[in-house]
Amino acid sequence: MPVVAAAAPFRTGVVRERSSVKHLAHLRRLYPYVQRYAMVLGLAIAGLLLTRLAFNIIPQLMKIAIDSLADANIPANYAAPALGILAIVVVQSGIYIVTRRALRRVSIAVTYDLRKRLFNHIQYQGPTFFNRFDTGDLMSRAVNDVRMVRMAVSFGWVQIATVVFSLTTSLSFMIYMSPSLTLWVVLPLPFVALTGFLMARGMYPYFRDRQESLAAVTSFTQENLNGIRTIAAMAQEDHEIERFRRASTVYAQKFYRATRYQQFMDVAMGTLTTIAPLIILFHGGAMVLAGELSIGTWSAFSAYLMMLTGAVTQIGWALSMFVAAAAGTERIFEVLDCEPEVVDAPRAEMGHVDGRLEFRNFTYRHPGAPRSTITGVDIDVQAGDTVALLGRVGAGKSTILKAAVRLLDTPPGTVFLDGRDVCDLPLGRLREVVTMVPQDPFLFSATLRENLTYDDPDRGDDAIWNAVDAAGLGGTVRQDLADGLGTVVGERGITLSGGQKQRATLARGLIRNAAVLLLDDCFSSVDTETEENILRGLQRLRGGKSTLLISHRVSTARHADRIYVIDNGRVLESGSHSELLAKNGYYAELEAVQSNQERDRSRKSALLRNLQAGEEPLAVAEGGA
Amino acid sequence: MNGAASQTRPTRNYAAFDAELTHQALNMRLFLRLMRWTKPYRITLVSSALLIVVSVGLGALMPVFQYRVVVDEILVPNPASDSLPSFYLTTILHAVQDALEVAPLTAAAVMFIAMFVTQTVIGLAQQLLLTSGALKTLRDLRIDLFASLERKPASFYDHVAVGRVMTRVTNDIENLFELLVGFIGRAGVVVQFFVVAVIMFALSVHLTTIGLAMIPVAAVATYYFRKVMRQAFRRIRDSVSALNQYMQEDLIGMEVVQISGREAMNSGQYRGLNQANRDHEYYAINYEVVFETFNMSLATIATVCVLWFGGGLVVQEAISLGVMLTFTQYINMMVMPIESMGRFFNVLFRSMASGERIFQALDWDERLHEPAAPATLPARLQGEVAFRHTHFAYPGGEPVLKDVSFRIAPGEKLAIVGPTGSGKSTIVRLLARFYDFDDGMIFLDGVDVNRIASRDLRRRVGVVLQDFHIFSGTVSENISLNNPDITADRVHWAARVVNADPFIRDLPNGYDTELAERGHNLSQGQQQLLAFARVLASDPEILVLDEATSSIDTGTELVIQDALHKLTEGRTSIIIAHRLQTIQECDRVLVLHRGVVQELGTHDELIARRGIYYTLHELQFQDSRVAAELTGDVDGDRAPAQPGWVDRDSEDESGFERDAVDGRQFG
Repeated sequence: MPVVAAAAPFRTGVVRERSSVKHLAHLRRLYPYVQRYAMVLGLAIAGLLLTRLAFNIIPQLMKIAIDSLADANIPANYAAPALGILAIVVVQSGIYIVTRRALRRVSIAVTYDLRKRLFNHIQYQGPTFFNRFDTGDLMSRAVNDVRMVRMAVSFGWVQIATVVFSLTTSLSFMIYMSPSLTLWVVLPLPFVALTGFLMARGMYPYFRDRQESLAAVTSFTQENLNGIRTIAAMAQEDHEIERFRRASTVYAQKFYRATRYQQFMDVAMGTLTTIAPLIILFHGGAMVLAGELSIGTWSAFSAYLMMLTGAVTQIGWALSMFVAAAAGTERIFEVLDCEPEVVDAPRAEMGHVDGRLEFRNFTYRHPGAPRSTITGVDIDVQAGDTVALLGRVGAGKSTILKAAVRLLDTPPGTVFLDGRDVCDLPLGRLREVVTMVPQDPFLFSATLRENLTYDDPDRGDDAIWNAVDAAGLGGTVRQDLADGLGTVVGERGITLSGGQKQRATLARGLIRNAAVLLLDDCFSSVDTETEENILRGLQRLRGGKSTLLISHRVSTARHADRIYVIDNGRVLESGSHSELLAKNGYYAELEAVQSNQERDRSRKSALLRNLQAGEEPLAVAEGGA
Repeated sequence: MNGAASQTRPTRNYAAFDAELTHQALNMRLFLRLMRWTKPYRITLVSSALLIVVSVGLGALMPVFQYRVVVDEILVPNPASDSLPSFYLTTILHAVQDALEVAPLTAAAVMFIAMFVTQTVIGLAQQLLLTSGALKTLRDLRIDLFASLERKPASFYDHVAVGRVMTRVTNDIENLFELLVGFIGRAGVVVQFFVVAVIMFALSVHLTTIGLAMIPVAAVATYYFRKVMRQAFRRIRDSVSALNQYMQEDLIGMEVVQISGREAMNSGQYRGLNQANRDHEYYAINYEVVFETFNMSLATIATVCVLWFGGGLVVQEAISLGVMLTFTQYINMMVMPIESMGRFFNVLFRSMASGERIFQALDWDERLHEPAAPATLPARLQGEVAFRHTHFAYPGGEPVLKDVSFRIAPGEKLAIVGPTGSGKSTIVRLLARFYDFDDGMIFLDGVDVNRIASRDLRRRVGVVLQDFHIFSGTVSENISLNNPDITADRVHWAARVVNADPFIRDLPNGYDTELAERGHNLSQGQQQLLAFARVLASDPEILVLDEATSSIDTGTELVIQDALHKLTEGRTSIIIAHRLQTIQECDRVLVLHRGVVQELGTHDELIARRGIYYTLHELQFQDSRVAAELTGDVDGDRAPAQPGWVDRDSEDESGFERDAVDGRQFG
């Protein structure tokens, strides 16, 4: 999960309503996306309606031919109607290809727009958002829900429009041929529509249950295989397989239930729609025998009825798709409705930055957390100074750093850059002049060069090598990586060690040469000696620029102009290295502890190096002692 | 000297597992193999297939009844049509008419209802049986596949990414569902095709020829369309997955994205991928729409042909009007199966590839060598562990352990120390039998571990790995690992013993608090304590612990040390130690260097020897003094008690760091 924050990481399932109709209202929200294609859509629908109309003429031509064949008194006339039908088919196909293509293109374009908006929207979100939606959740919304919406846009409502039109034209022709028979035939239609509507309304829970149980199987598998070593070590395979069996069985059941419902729905609809042909067969047949209806009209009625039946069935289908799309729309807009909690001030002017960073009575409580993480902290980083934050894990140090670059919703009037509230500064510029190197050394699946110049891909080689060398990564890049800066790293590239990753992320921050540099515990995986080198390099590279760093090591902190010891969200003590030593407080104690450790560590690493080289360890140890 | 160990094992080609399997050939063996899973549901599936034949046959007779019987016999009686076949429908009609003593039209209506109801009921039963059978078959296959993956040894997961096998359990099985349902459904279409063809031939050979002439046209068009579309669809699929991959990575690295001010640029790059996808889709619909229209028109054109030629035949009185009308219906039924088969071939190819991937995973016979007749262990082991001349190399790699021999008495605690790559973790992995080894022996209470079933062995040997894997679920579930044998009381007891209870109770819902998979809501120290609780709850006779290298603040450190002390109390323990404190907890120390046991003895003995350990001890001594000094600063209950909102702990590689994790790094 990005933006590590901590509040409410606990699962909170979103309870969705069990109604299909209410969900349909969500589709309204797609209106702006469809609106821009109104012209195309209008023309396309007009074209489609034209093809429907043409399609409705075919039974009329058939009727003429059949009547002429059935009645010996009328001269046989079948060639002309046949040619007429052929002509209709050709024209209809032409129009259909053009309009259908236009409609499908609109649905693809709407998908494109939705994805674009979704992605763009997510880019600017803060920790509250990412706590609410994790990566998998967002992915599923961007992939599955968008696909459902697309189905509805491309087929659903166009289908309904054409179906309604088709219904009216077919009915018109039928009434024209025989009003009384039409009346009889139309009788069951309202029941068909009503049943279809009620069935579609009841379908949503089945559909959702099926999807959710599939998601359960998927996430169980993923999590289980990721923790396979633990499960193997604890010999829990059998229990896990049993749990998987249960999850799979639930999925099979839900799937079956959804299919069964669908089947019942089909049967109900099928039965209802067959009542009309039966009426034609029976009542219409009687009319033919009574001489009230020609056999051609009788068969045309059957043809129109098939169109009617198809249309009504499609309404049900379109409705069920709408239900799915409506649920998808709801889920998409749940994301789009989240306003970024960090509000940008894009138009604010921001000139030269000296680099003074102040926290004045800074208090922060993570959304949903019971108590404040940081309470009334005052920190002053003078321009050009190096300031260190020291303290236990969980003391709130990272929160302070993140507040400076507004990775969380910094309260106004608490953090100031050159005396100006950071909340009044344009976000982009703020993060440019105040650069943070996060604790989690994350690299993208791209070349090292692309990773290092992540903020600005146009950076030249000189800048890159300067940063790489300053971060102590030069040797690794030059010697260990076969493709140097062109080596692909990250998830789909080669795996770097923790220390290498950390130095790469450090280089990514250093390359920006920012007025204020924030280092969130960036040396934890780097040995002390390398750290010393890096710090020396930093001093050279960043002369006159401000640095605020978090460290657990006194050896790192001692070089700082000022040190703040943070404990439990408050400043416990502060001052320069010597001042703090004189205070004889926490820092002094830590110094005593760690300076010994540091000495040991450097001796130990020297020893280890020798061990690795296979030399006699004792000599070195004695010599070094 | 010990390359022999690795040579006896076959070197596997894991790349085969990663290869794209897109088989375009039909593989009947695959299909037959899939059929094996249908065995328990064969009756269901076969009845479904039989019912489909009945339902399709009835459906095919409907037009005959409507036109050939109702029109020719009742509405436009034509003596000439008497010679034409009606497939007993006329006879039945007359029988119904006589039995009910009603008008012919009423009898026809009754028959129509009867035929429809029968067809509907059979159709419903067939669909439900088919769905149920297919779902159960695939559920079983899915469970078998999962079980096989679950039991693959550690060496398998060293080489194959979890994502690669994941999709086999999810997507590939779903594809097979389409295959099974499609196959039987398609069988119905084929049956319908033949039934219709037979009826048509019986009614009019001449008109049937016209119908058949449409088939090659439809078939050729379908073939070319599918060929073009296969390419187009592949491009769409690839572009979609590129799109999704980009988004996923962007989400994972969101913090970096925002810090670097890349929001707009990433949106731009995503837009590029999005556009590429859109363009591929645009390309595909051009063909799709044309093909769709072609299919739609084909049936109507066929109707035109029937009208053109059939009309003439009616005039010549070669056929009746009813027959011609029947043909207008049938021509549809003839052409439809072609397109439907074409679509099915796509499903077929896709599911063949899926099937191949599934069976590849099932067939991957990488497994631990399990004894044919496993030794039965006593209910409670004494806990004696002995390594005897053990050599080991990861497949295709350099030897990691060379002639390792040592013995641990029951209840004894042994610390293993040594620099990176010395083979410490490998000792753990061999003892827990994550890997096969054949050069040398390891004994548990005098029993060769190769003679113990690995599952039994792992119940006796509790392993605490460096990384504590959090499963999403409650704290309780994470401790018990959903093992039904571990009661809630036992979970609470274990948590109390290892000092995890206070911080768990501080969580929003105590033991019932849901933990996220990546565990951002727990600190490193808390995770370590939970790992202890997890292993203690299962109460193994032998404890193997790979101490986490993470730097933990001193307060937490003391809590953990205390927990470790309670955990190892009276239990044979092997601890890969990184902290002097931990080492001093132990009875004896084994110094491992480059896979060789360099020193072994009690702390005092090794100090007296003034060897490697002495040096290490001298160097690390300060650590413990420091810890002692800070004791006053620490309150055991309070120290770790900051649940949630904590900074992530850091990894410390400066000291002894973890061994190379897997064989890859040796190869």
